[in-house]
Amino acid sequence: MRLVPKIFAQSLILVALSAVLAYGANAVRPEAMSPAKPASAVQLAGKEISVKDAAMLFITGRAVFLDARSQYEYTQGHIQGAISLPPRSFAELYQDIKPRLAGKEAVITYCDGERCPLSHALAEHLRAAGVQNVYVLVNGWTVWQAEKLPIAKGQSAPVSAIKPVRQDALCTECDKKK
Amino acid sequence: MPCVRSATKRNEPAGHVETGNAFPAAGLDFVLRTVLAVILLYACADKIIHPQAFAGIVHDYKLLPEPLVGVVALWLPWLELVLGVCLYTGLMAEGALALTTGLFTCFWLALIVNYFRGVNVNCGCFSSTAEEAAPMLFYIGRDALLLALAVASCAMRLRVVGKGGAFD
Repeated sequence: MRLVPKIFAQSLILVALSAVLAYGANAVRPEAMSPAKPASAVQLAGKEISVKDAAMLFITGRAVFLDARSQYEYTQGHIQGAISLPPRSFAELYQDIKPRLAGKEAVITYCDGERCPLSHALAEHLRAAGVQNVYVLVNGWTVWQAEKLPIAKGQSAPVSAIKPVRQDALCTECDKKK
Repeated sequence: MPCVRSATKRNEPAGHVETGNAFPAAGLDFVLRTVLAVILLYACADKIIHPQAFAGIVHDYKLLPEPLVGVVALWLPWLELVLGVCLYTGLMAEGALALTTGLFTCFWLALIVNYFRGVNVNCGCFSSTAEEAAPMLFYIGRDALLLALAVASCAMRLRVVGKGGAFD
């Protein structure tokens, strides 16, 4: 058998076999996924907040923003005053960041992309740690830039050097002083 | 044994590619296929267990129409499983290698497209959870290495198959 027809035939067999296995396994699964409506089946954790509400809380300094993306992406650009806290570094960084959450009306997590799961994962970690009023700003980085709200670039100050923000202080003022 | 070697050369069909010592080619073919198989089998496990989470990741790539997202999310991990098994056992290895190379090319291009669109996606390469977070360039670089590995494996397989006269 010549090589190209052989590869073609084998590929077809493998594709068909995997399709049969996939749909067979899904059929016998207790929680079978509907291929037609997968997105609705995806569970996203946490309350969501609109960009306008988030902006209002930002302007009045009543919220703290947590960037769930990687440190590299945070350095490339982030919501002004936001703290970098990727979910996988949560256990390591949370104790240092915890004082900054005190006295805030809302803790807002964000990442990028409409269904980016990082902000939801971070919200779950925060709730599990007992933090109240955690909100997810869905597609946060994109919508924040689209609204032309304040952003910043570069590294944040080392967490150990950050002093807790007074409840009456405005984040916008803090950032201007920096 | 120079006499044996020269005798073999005389009996080779016209157009045959000289492969030198047979053992390194066959051995390398097996090693490369096994490495690819381990990667594919490791990659598929979490996605088979959590198809809904993987569907979310496929959706985030924003490359497929909505009706295809679920189909691909359901089927792709099983294709990886079948390819992994075939590459390890050597069963339909040529077809499996061709599909693996095609698959890695698609993954790599999907990441590059989203990188230039400015869409940050969770790779979903080896896990369906949100914990796997790294810069897009890291994912692109890693997928380029995987693609290079698949191409090298294809080349080695062609040498081994060529020796058996499959090109005749």
